[in-house]
Amino acid sequence: MHLQRYPLLVSLCTMTLLLSACVPSDTSGTSPSASDSSGSDHGEVTGATQVAEPPLQLLSIDDSGNVGLRDLLDDSTTELGTIPAPQSTATDGRYVFANTPDGLHILDSGTWTWDHVDHFHYYRSAPSIIGAITGEGPATVATGPLSTAGTTGVFFSGSREAVLLDNSALAEGTIVELFRISSDLDAGLVVPLGDGALVAEAADGVSASAENTVAKLRYYSTDGEPTDFSAPCRAAAGTITTRVGAVIGCADGAILATLDGDSPVFERIPYPANAHADPAVAFDGRKGRPTVAALAGTSGFWLLDTRERTWRLVETEHPLVRVSAVDDSDGHVVAVDHEGRVSVFLAESGEEVATTQPLVAALSDPVALAGLTLVVDAQRAYVNAASEGVVYEIAFADDARIARTLSTPTAPSYFAEVGR
Amino acid sequence: MKRIALALITVALLALSACAPAASSRSESPHIIVTTNILGDVVAAIVGSEARVTTLMKPNADPHSFEISAREAAQLSAASLIVSNGLGLEEGLSRHLDRAAHDGAEVFVAGDFIETLSYADHDQAGTADPHWWTDPARMRDVVDALETALVDVDGIDGSVIRSQADSYRAELTQLDADMTSAFASIDDADRALVTNHHVFGYLAERFDFRIVGAVIPGGTTLASPSAADLRDLATAITDAGVSSIFAESSQPDRLVQVLASEANLNVNVIELFTESLTAPGEGADTYLTMMRANTERITQGLTR
Repeated sequence: MHLQRYPLLVSLCTMTLLLSACVPSDTSGTSPSASDSSGSDHGEVTGATQVAEPPLQLLSIDDSGNVGLRDLLDDSTTELGTIPAPQSTATDGRYVFANTPDGLHILDSGTWTWDHVDHFHYYRSAPSIIGAITGEGPATVATGPLSTAGTTGVFFSGSREAVLLDNSALAEGTIVELFRISSDLDAGLVVPLGDGALVAEAADGVSASAENTVAKLRYYSTDGEPTDFSAPCRAAAGTITTRVGAVIGCADGAILATLDGDSPVFERIPYPANAHADPAVAFDGRKGRPTVAALAGTSGFWLLDTRERTWRLVETEHPLVRVSAVDDSDGHVVAVDHEGRVSVFLAESGEEVATTQPLVAALSDPVALAGLTLVVDAQRAYVNAASEGVVYEIAFADDARIARTLSTPTAPSYFAEVGR
Repeated sequence: MKRIALALITVALLALSACAPAASSRSESPHIIVTTNILGDVVAAIVGSEARVTTLMKPNADPHSFEISAREAAQLSAASLIVSNGLGLEEGLSRHLDRAAHDGAEVFVAGDFIETLSYADHDQAGTADPHWWTDPARMRDVVDALETALVDVDGIDGSVIRSQADSYRAELTQLDADMTSAFASIDDADRALVTNHHVFGYLAERFDFRIVGAVIPGGTTLASPSAADLRDLATAITDAGVSSIFAESSQPDRLVQVLASEANLNVNVIELFTESLTAPGEGADTYLTMMRANTERITQGLTR
């Protein structure tokens, strides 16, 4: 550890030297008035204004890559520009990452929420198309708890590269790769944790030419140096960050990674012995909440409570294609089934309490299915019906009522709810 | 390896200390840097013209996440005294404050001098609530401790500080008495703050209010509301039996209208000042005006 931290210490010291060198001349140039609190460089979040509630918007991308924003509070719309035709998208609730044949394109919706655990603050700034990072895709993106700090992980399955992005740079509209390392894996993960990231690795001694699957997760420092912290995780797939920590799906359970000071701590949450269903390979839930949901193959869904460290299997009448946990006081879980109906379940009983008519068509088409997105916030769920050109806003606590049928400035072949 | 790193730190510290005398010799007066604008106002009142006071947090900002410039961060280590709220409030500043303390700066942490309350909330149960300023008696405790710390700052006339601290304590005593008498006009049964503000725990404990935490429906709910959306809030209002709720909402008028149409409730929606002073003339430009404004709003809202 000390060896790896050496360059970091040097740079910190250098920075301190540079900073301190600036102080005397700077101070002497400042007027000795009683207070200079009105100085123009004073802190707040640069370029952003604070607002009273989540500045929720839908960011839509059509099949040709035209990007639009629809404000969910005042219905205003903006067209942001065009990126190459997307193949899939991911979001952290502020940025949208679009896989395209021409690299991973990054969009900034300009709206986000800062979670202080006991309360939240909400920000709005100008949206933009930030740019793209190169790599052969598709890329798997893993996001952290905060859009203005920490990191975002990207794994390019085509070019077998693990990349870590600096969120504070993204917040300023620039792309900074903290590291880019080559991997032996066809399908990997880079999961933000503290200042570094967990990177999926093959078993020791397996060469790049062998058929590689993930065998373990290793913690890498911000500058891409491997550390001695690792945890076994066979066939790692799917990750989400909750208030408790970062979760990664493995063949026999989940790994929950938290930080103790600067050191990662790994806990294994095994599947219950008496529950027989396919393992979770993707997790979804209301941003930050400790309980998340995952498809359990065609059997129903898993609920993973990262605070209690428990799994629960809820079997459903119809196979599901999307599921997300609201984790509110009633324990709502929202899902889309294989016939395009939106259903609402209660976590405690597993009971299906409401369902809609089929809203989403053509789920047998893999391209349409790739773009199908279900997202939940504290009050509403959103699901796109790309062929109808609309996003449905669903009041899950009110009998799965369709509260609004929303059109977006560009067709919602892909969409994200941002401002979260 | 450790030794090399330590040596480098030593070099850095030497360089810093080499700069410090030059800096202070050019400064006319001691320099006190305060993190939050609420504390900045109180410190400025006690310090007067005895020192230069810099407040890092702008008016109408968020104490948890505000950022400072590289220039301000560099100045921290050279300050005669740094005054912070503590108890985890200034999350965005913690590494700068840690570095300044490591560099040998004097740091006054207000939260060290008060009797803290813990959050009751599930996610944070047991951790100390950092919003102690909503109780003027606790502010008085902080002023007592600040006075001692300020008297020790080189270049400051201790007798002036003591006299100005006395004047400010008199203001706080008057504020406390005025709050007590205003709140006395509220019936015991009505002493409930139905609110999505999270900062009034200390005020509630001191002046005997119940805090009823409530989720206030947001804009997407208000766009197409139903009774189900308002059930939790309506239940909280009915159970508390109050005629006003204290909520931050971007559309307070719409919220009033929706509560009336969907839940048959006629209530006022009143916003309070919470974690930041405002710009001059906007209603809460000093700690004392902020506290008086909130007292008036709460009293008006809860007396029939």
